[in-house]
Amino acid sequence: MVTAALTRARRIRVPLWELLDPRGHGPAMAWSAALALVAAVVARALGWPLWQASALAIGLMVPVFCAKWLADRRRFGGTVTVLGILVVLQGFHGLEHVVQWIQYHILRWPSFISSGLISAANAEWVHFVWNWGVAATVSWLLWRGMRNRWMWALLVWALAHGAEHTYMMVRYLQVLDEFRALGVSGVSAQGLPGFFGRDGWLATSPLTQETFLCRAPGVTTAVRLDVHFWWNIGETTLLLMAAHVQLRRTGPPSA
Amino acid sequence: MVRWRARWTGGLAALLLMTACGATPAPAAVDEPVAPVQLRAAALATPATCSAGFVPHALEHTTRSGAQVAAVYESNGAGVALGDLDGDGRDEVVLANLAGDASLLWNRGALRFARQALPVTQARAVAVVDVDADGRSDLVFTRRFEKPLWLRNTGLPGDARFSAQPLPDVNNTFYSMAWADLDDDGDLDLVAASYDAEQLKHQGQIFTQRGGIGVFVYWREGATFRAERLATAAEALAIALVDLDGDRRRDIWVGNDFNVRDQIWLRAGAGWRAGLPLDSMTENTMSLDWGDVDNDGQFEIFASDMKPVDKDVATMARWLPMMKKMTRPLTSDDPQHAENTLQIRGGDGRWRDQAYERRVDSSGWSWSAKFGDLDADGSLDLLVVNGMIARGLFDHLPGAELVEPNMAFRNRGDGSFVVAHDWRLGSTASGRGMSMGDLDGDGDLDVVVNNLESPAMLFENQLCGTRHLTVAPRMPGSANPLAVGARLTLRLTDATLVRELRSISGYLSGDPAAVHFGLPPGAVIGTLRIDWPDGRVSVLRDLAPGQHLQVAAPS
Repeated sequence: MVTAALTRARRIRVPLWELLDPRGHGPAMAWSAALALVAAVVARALGWPLWQASALAIGLMVPVFCAKWLADRRRFGGTVTVLGILVVLQGFHGLEHVVQWIQYHILRWPSFISSGLISAANAEWVHFVWNWGVAATVSWLLWRGMRNRWMWALLVWALAHGAEHTYMMVRYLQVLDEFRALGVSGVSAQGLPGFFGRDGWLATSPLTQETFLCRAPGVTTAVRLDVHFWWNIGETTLLLMAAHVQLRRTGPPSA
Repeated sequence: MVRWRARWTGGLAALLLMTACGATPAPAAVDEPVAPVQLRAAALATPATCSAGFVPHALEHTTRSGAQVAAVYESNGAGVALGDLDGDGRDEVVLANLAGDASLLWNRGALRFARQALPVTQARAVAVVDVDADGRSDLVFTRRFEKPLWLRNTGLPGDARFSAQPLPDVNNTFYSMAWADLDDDGDLDLVAASYDAEQLKHQGQIFTQRGGIGVFVYWREGATFRAERLATAAEALAIALVDLDGDRRRDIWVGNDFNVRDQIWLRAGAGWRAGLPLDSMTENTMSLDWGDVDNDGQFEIFASDMKPVDKDVATMARWLPMMKKMTRPLTSDDPQHAENTLQIRGGDGRWRDQAYERRVDSSGWSWSAKFGDLDADGSLDLLVVNGMIARGLFDHLPGAELVEPNMAFRNRGDGSFVVAHDWRLGSTASGRGMSMGDLDGDGDLDVVVNNLESPAMLFENQLCGTRHLTVAPRMPGSANPLAVGARLTLRLTDATLVRELRSISGYLSGDPAAVHFGLPPGAVIGTLRIDWPDGRVSVLRDLAPGQHLQVAAPS
């Protein structure tokens, strides 16, 4: 009965899953994942910080993923492969935000320790570069013909997300400049509010003070960690929908 | 039948302009025992000038830290109190000081003051309280490294008016204090709490070995006090004695600094039950005040903390180095947050913070914060005084000073607030203690701020077109002659205003023994109900606006 159900499930065609399927790299991927897990546990046991253990684990899996993507390029071409890479990397980026959310809301860690698996990467410039990287990649995919309404929505979302990170990045750099002018060193400006969320621009601007906007639930009340959790949940969801629709429309990757 | 006698000979200066108005104390249609009252009404002075704002006047007093640049704890400055010390109907201004004499500014009318130096140094809180219930208001100071000091009012004119003595059997060093009748026996009890971090810095290891001081209730028993220790440690910058569980008995809220959770004791039978009926609270409680901001008959409670108002680049650069030093990691389920709270009691008895939603969550590096109907529209506004000077904490700023304006928040009529820049209360003189009262006899609330390292300021209320009713309840012959704890309910045509008379609130700052009602345009006064601290009730009718009422309910 279970076998029959699995057989039926395999017959349901999800082209995105076919793209992500490790195919011939399955055993290598499983082994590298197991090795990464063991290495991370040992590293933690040796007292490494979480982000170093996580980075080690990811590093151990990179070669296998690279091998798969090179094979994908030969099989599906560059555009589809880039879409696959984007899905994996944005998926991991989204996972980082999910981990932050769990650390803060479930594990009850302090907000500035709830930095995901690779806390060292929870830096203003990393988010800035990453989000503009996503927007640029989506633009390239559109240019390469991957056009559907989900992809367009993803572009709008990614541009808005990138714009908020630009606002935060600019403020971050301006505060560092102010620090230099004040002779302050060794103090980070990471974590300032952005456009949305609690204490963000929309909540504090004189332009919104007499309107409902300045205290709109969630939009101007959520903490920064929650705001960017939802940015990334939205971005990942739109990406998955765009990829799914596109791959269904253009036929199976294996075709 | 109500007696209606003019018996006061206490020398209300306003008698000169007094008009005996046709107020009629009426039989109270209430279940509680009715208190017959003697009522004296005086017309409020007509404001000399109207300028749509507050006008600053420097006072002859500067609180000094004693250091070239104040360090932490000296930075905390001192309080101010308002009260009538010579029975002329005008409130004096008393300003505590750290490195220098305190100042008593005798109110000579028309905002003229004559300074008398009071030899009280290293003082923190100050309150005008009739400790010995002799009908003359006394002064009580808490001091940094000594026991509280009682300046007993002897009634003699000149320097001999006050006799300095310790409060009997009050034998600890305290920072904050509050007075109220906690056991309903008619006299005033004292709640006092320490600021252990300062003692630790001063005494070093000896203090650590000895342990903290903590929180005490001093029960008034005849001529002395009996101590009851509620906690062995505290970082108390403020105390509120207010009913938190709806049983009409006063509970104790001690507001602690330095990420130490506030402590709350609820009155239970003849004792206390520690509790924390709050979903969230301030992380560094700087002051506490309570008032009915939405005119629903229930008090809301405001606690100030430290959070920048503006989040612009320059402000954040000034704040961030300090925030990195001071902020301790708190888990996300910790109820403490480094921002002001406005606690509103729900139907389930829990208090929930609404400061962010009502736009009073940030006011800067805040100290004394008090409610008062500054624009006399019938809704309580909020004033918060701000600033910090601290060597070691703000060394990256000129003079180690975080310069911040005081913040006035105008009540929009529904209990939410908007910054009232046009009131011109945004002084940047590093305020600490602050109190409000009618100092020029025109009925509106003036403001006195005790700044650190710059002259104290009086902000004369010159807002235009306002109407007022001020009430001074008194219980002559009782152990609580100033009627501290009296609750006054003024019914208007379309609003009911509730106010309470208390000894001290905000940060280290004593309140005048009179209650102010601002009257919205067109509002007609219905009745004034006074719930006296001893459980009796009086209801007055036929009151007219523009009066100062002295209402006496002899015991």
